Amino acid sequence: MQPLLDEYPLLDFFDEFADELGVPRAHYAGLAATLRSIDITEFRHRVDLVNSVLLQRGVTFTVYSDSRGTERILPFDLIPRIVPSGEWSLIKRGIAQRVMALNAFLGDIYGPQRILHERRIPAEMVFSSKFYNREMIGFRVPRDVYIHVSGCDLIRGRDGTYYVLEDNLRTPSGISYVLENRDVLKRSFPRLFENYQPLPVDDYPRRLLDALRHSAPAGVSDPVVVLLTPGIYNSAYFEHTVLARRMGVELVEGSDLLVHDNIVYMKTTKGLQRVDVIYRRIDDDYLDPLVFKADSTLGVTGLMNAYRAGAVGIANAVGTGVADDKAIYPFVPEIIRFYLGEEPILPNVPTYDCTDDPQRRYVTSHLDELVVKNTNQSGGYGMLMGPSASAAERARFKEAIEASPRDFIAQPIIPLSCHPTIVGETLAPRHIDLRPFVLLGDQVDVPPTALTRVALTDGSLVVNSSQGGGSKDTWVLDD
Amino acid sequence: MLSRVAESLYWMSRNVERAETLARILDVNYNRTVDRNAAGRERAARIWRSVFDMAGISADVELLEGASLASAAFERCTFSTEYRTSIVSCIRIARSNALSVRAELSTEVWECLNGLYLFVEAQSPRSVAREGPSSFLRSVRDTAQAFGGIVDATVSHDDEWNFLQIGRYLERAAMTARILRNHDFSDDSAHEWQRLLEMCCASEPFAKAQRLSSDPNEALAFLFLHRSFPRSIRFCTHEVDRALHRISETAMGAYSNEAERVTGRLQAMLDFVQIGEILDEGGDRFAARFAERADAIGSSIQSSYFPRVPVG
Repeated sequence: MQPLLDEYPLLDFFDEFADELGVPRAHYAGLAATLRSIDITEFRHRVDLVNSVLLQRGVTFTVYSDSRGTERILPFDLIPRIVPSGEWSLIKRGIAQRVMALNAFLGDIYGPQRILHERRIPAEMVFSSKFYNREMIGFRVPRDVYIHVSGCDLIRGRDGTYYVLEDNLRTPSGISYVLENRDVLKRSFPRLFENYQPLPVDDYPRRLLDALRHSAPAGVSDPVVVLLTPGIYNSAYFEHTVLARRMGVELVEGSDLLVHDNIVYMKTTKGLQRVDVIYRRIDDDYLDPLVFKADSTLGVTGLMNAYRAGAVGIANAVGTGVADDKAIYPFVPEIIRFYLGEEPILPNVPTYDCTDDPQRRYVTSHLDELVVKNTNQSGGYGMLMGPSASAAERARFKEAIEASPRDFIAQPIIPLSCHPTIVGETLAPRHIDLRPFVLLGDQVDVPPTALTRVALTDGSLVVNSSQGGGSKDTWVLDD
Repeated sequence: MLSRVAESLYWMSRNVERAETLARILDVNYNRTVDRNAAGRERAARIWRSVFDMAGISADVELLEGASLASAAFERCTFSTEYRTSIVSCIRIARSNALSVRAELSTEVWECLNGLYLFVEAQSPRSVAREGPSSFLRSVRDTAQAFGGIVDATVSHDDEWNFLQIGRYLERAAMTARILRNHDFSDDSAHEWQRLLEMCCASEPFAKAQRLSSDPNEALAFLFLHRSFPRSIRFCTHEVDRALHRISETAMGAYSNEAERVTGRLQAMLDFVQIGEILDEGGDRFAARFAERADAIGSSIQSSYFPRVPVG
């Protein structure tokens, strides 16, 4: 027998699994014992089995760059990531704090704009944001909640410190993989699972529905909630179906809805039925062709009027994107201090503001050490990984930064932590991040549901599914 | 329930049913025409021309190329993607409908259909040729039939299921009619009757019901008018009628929309017509007329429940 865990090489990064001496950390000891007792070939067999189950179930995402819109399964790594309770309670407090502060920030910049008047952050940063939505100025959203669902990205530096890399306040995806991964892993390692007793993830849909129902217009006691999807070709369509099914709400496309006298209805076989809350998984720009992109066929004509008339709740609120604009990100610690009077619990990654001349000069002359991100793009698109980029790519980014500095930020490369991952026939360290989800209803709720993404390519620091990333089940431990 | 969802369920169900019937038709006829010596090429060509008509494929049998007529015709009806009625096309359409209503389907229903899709997509004329089409066709048929069973066992029997029933039985009635339309009523040789019964999955039920009767008219009456054989035209029409009435909650025998009116009228005719009258008109003509009326039911369901113009 050739055990799965034999020699595990340590790299010069923080490793989740083992300490500097290569000894498994306390919360990984049980997993280590199991991995030492499993034969590699038998394990490969399990992996194949899991992949065929995922394909049959249709646990897939669509890759846009591929012209055929191929459905792929998100590579699922069977080795679970374990988060001990102490770390989880820090994460929980830290991300809840951020969401509360950012929610207050949104209410402010679309309302009294105190933070701008007091010059705590530069007004032009907000007003120049592509995601600042003038339709929302002066409109009070139901129950003052903007960010019903968010999923920030956390990474760990060389000393194991958790940093917030991005806030993702628009339509973060990934929760369906958390639910599916857990299901698959439970079947693959029932005994191990029983010993660890990680916190269950399957009540996430109920908690999400609670938050959504809370955003119904005042006076509606039993709101009708729908999930609005762009349709079957969207990369996250699978997730939309999972959530709609598990929440027991209708999954609708734009053409299923219509607005009449500022009331939103869905077209059913029994006529029109009123809709009170829309959990939309389409971007602001496509919501309503009357107000945004006129050629959008994904949205609903007249929806913004109905929203502004207070006849329907939309989650997340329109215009939340400004708070997770990458150019606003450097100001989040200040936003926390301003609205909550607290120090940030989780630090930001140091970030260079390219609109500031000295900082921009530093960035353009150190592109080979930095990661540059376009503030208008997400999901790993429009990004430069300095050290691995070609000279031509760097030159192209330099030119683009000089031309429109507001569109870029730069960050030092954070050496993401590593985690044992199945690579061929062995376990090897691969870089990972963590995406926990925060729900905001009548109170802030952080369910123990986090997605661990893993960069499957050797040495790669990019974990996005569109760029060759995979995922792991994430076990949050109780005390 | 959303109109779009009802429409997708209806088409999903129709296409699975069609793939199932087509798989059986191909299996029955492939085995009867593959034997080169026994069956003359002319007879084989006649059979495949009729199969193409049942399958809605407009190719000229005489122009088919390939090792044998049977294999070439089988390939055309199975793998051709230029026709929306080949087995592969039907399953693709059904699966894409299923995908668009994924949130409404039970996991079991989805996995069954997705499994069928993945199975069929993984096949090619070459891979099937190795062991002959029979086991492939059998898998398609079995899975499509299992699909119906899983639907019945895992979907609540309310509107969602009613639309699935309508799709299933309307398609089945239409396919039985298309098979009968292509039957040569002047040929009363035993093997022609047997072929007809087998294509309708009726040879055993008929034998049981008729105690080995060899009267061709009895077999025709069985396929057209039997009260409880689940592929007879009358039975299928009745199921469509019942599902429509369950949806609208209108009393049977009355109607509240065009779909119910058209179906009810056809149902009444089938309840009271006698087999002698059908044969006087000509069984094939009667079947052809029925197929047209089934299409009319389809259009009226479309306009009653899935209107193209936005409601309101």
